[in-house]
Amino acid sequence: MSVAIGALRDALPHPTRWRHVAGYMLAVYRREWQGSFFSAFLEPLVVLAGLGIGLGVLVGDRAAEITGGASYVAYIAPALMAGSAMQLGAGEATWPVLARIMWVRIYHAIVATPLNPADVMLGAIAFMGGKVAFAAAFFAAVLLAAGIASQPLAALAMVGATTLTGLAFAAPITAFAVTQKSDQGFGFLFRLVITPLAFLSGTYFPVENLPPAVQGFAWLTPLAHGVALDRALALGLPLDGAWTHVAALAAWSVGGTVAAAVLFRRRMRT
Amino acid sequence: MSSAGATPETLIRARGLTKAFGARTAVAGIDFEVRDGEFFGFLGPNGAGKTTTMRMIAGVSPRSGGDLQILGRDPDLDGAAIRAQLGVVHQQETLDQELSVRENLLVFGRFFGMDRATIAERADELLELFQLSDRAGDQVEPLSGGMKRRLSIARSLIAGPRILMLDEPTTGLDPQARHLLWDLLQRLKRTGTTIVLTTHYMDEAEQLCDRLVVMDDAKIVAEGSPRELIERHASREVLELRFPGGTELLDANKLAKVGDRYERLAERVIVGCENGEAAHARALAAGLSPESWLVRRSSLEDVFLRLTGRSLDE
Repeated sequence: MSVAIGALRDALPHPTRWRHVAGYMLAVYRREWQGSFFSAFLEPLVVLAGLGIGLGVLVGDRAAEITGGASYVAYIAPALMAGSAMQLGAGEATWPVLARIMWVRIYHAIVATPLNPADVMLGAIAFMGGKVAFAAAFFAAVLLAAGIASQPLAALAMVGATTLTGLAFAAPITAFAVTQKSDQGFGFLFRLVITPLAFLSGTYFPVENLPPAVQGFAWLTPLAHGVALDRALALGLPLDGAWTHVAALAAWSVGGTVAAAVLFRRRMRT
Repeated sequence: MSSAGATPETLIRARGLTKAFGARTAVAGIDFEVRDGEFFGFLGPNGAGKTTTMRMIAGVSPRSGGDLQILGRDPDLDGAAIRAQLGVVHQQETLDQELSVRENLLVFGRFFGMDRATIAERADELLELFQLSDRAGDQVEPLSGGMKRRLSIARSLIAGPRILMLDEPTTGLDPQARHLLWDLLQRLKRTGTTIVLTTHYMDEAEQLCDRLVVMDDAKIVAEGSPRELIERHASREVLELRFPGGTELLDANKLAKVGDRYERLAERVIVGCENGEAAHARALAAGLSPESWLVRRSSLEDVFLRLTGRSLDE
């Protein structure tokens, strides 16, 4: 009985210890942020400029049919913001996680301190959320400056929705990463899941244009919900159904974090 | 804490400690005790169960059976409280390669709930003690193996642990780096830190350990101080006879006449005896013709050979 309580205590996160893992990751990020700055912040904006302007010209007047009156750039910009959160969340949850288990191995040292595996996962995923929030704030500021988003309060809500979208990918992908014995699976993940999702989730055209079965699949994944939220906020569309989207993203985030804690403990406490 | 003159407190106590991974038994019911202030060793070949035992003590691997008490607590119940008082150095490096030497210490202290000012003070003391002060601001990645190992040990000491756990601390280091590390560990022991180490190096165990257990095939096969083990399980001197063509055809009757006992390895015969020179003369008289021979004092290597019938490096 008491052994079960001890095991439970080791399986549940401590209320505050996880912060030190996030603090450690921040210390590392401070040293190397220049290297990832381009991919995390500037690349989505380059894509936006290229697609928005280039594809926008091609789509031309027909844009209004799908955008409900907005320009094509304004239509895809909030969706690309959600998509960049997916990319960033997935990127943070794959190689950096496995590296700290298999190559840098520092997670082996951390779970030998008072911290348990759940503390490590909670801290790591919290840091990923923070990094997505930082990138989202930058993105939102650009959208405000460009006049694509006009309400500062809505832009702030977009930062929240985008962060939740990033977490909805980062958490379950972390759970996947901690089970891996090599990084081979990550290539498949990006080619077969992450990249196609951008096309299935209403980024460039409405989800409703897809066959019904594919639509159903799209709504099971997090990105469609993130795109819908960010777009409604940016374009000032009605927010009915917004809580469904928030709930779906929260479910992925919480479920993913719990799975990561359970699977990471299984790996580290053998 | 024990007072002077009293029996030293037992910090680690294992009874019938067992670990199974599926059908494979990695540790098969071992008993041992580690006392306060002691330098205690697990000696044995790779795969003997040393690292698994260390992981159970460190509270990161739940045992499959038996009793285990560390600092009066059960790791299955109070893992975090035990880990708060342990310093653990893994066999493979676990340092962050991108952070600086000093940052590695600063970050780690936070995991033990220390405040930043205390960590900074302690970090500078440890960098001084481990001769890393002049590299404090450098990244870890380009450091030599010996420096990384010293930093790993310094990091494990950041919270002032009661017990320092070292898994194969000098594996992969050059002789100079090994000797420097041995000196540092002996200095650390004099300050009262209890140290538990695993090693497959006989000379390391002989140099450092007050007491050790010899592990082979998941079990403890002997226990004592290095001197006691040698006296109990080995003769005074050893005669090594080399037969590069192999030893399997040598006549057992002839070999038995050379000394008190012998072990036949692939290309060597190890003879335990009182006097190696005299034993060599008997070997020649018996008609044995080794290509070369040498006489040395018995070591833990011979204890291991005697107990397991195998050499550690085979």
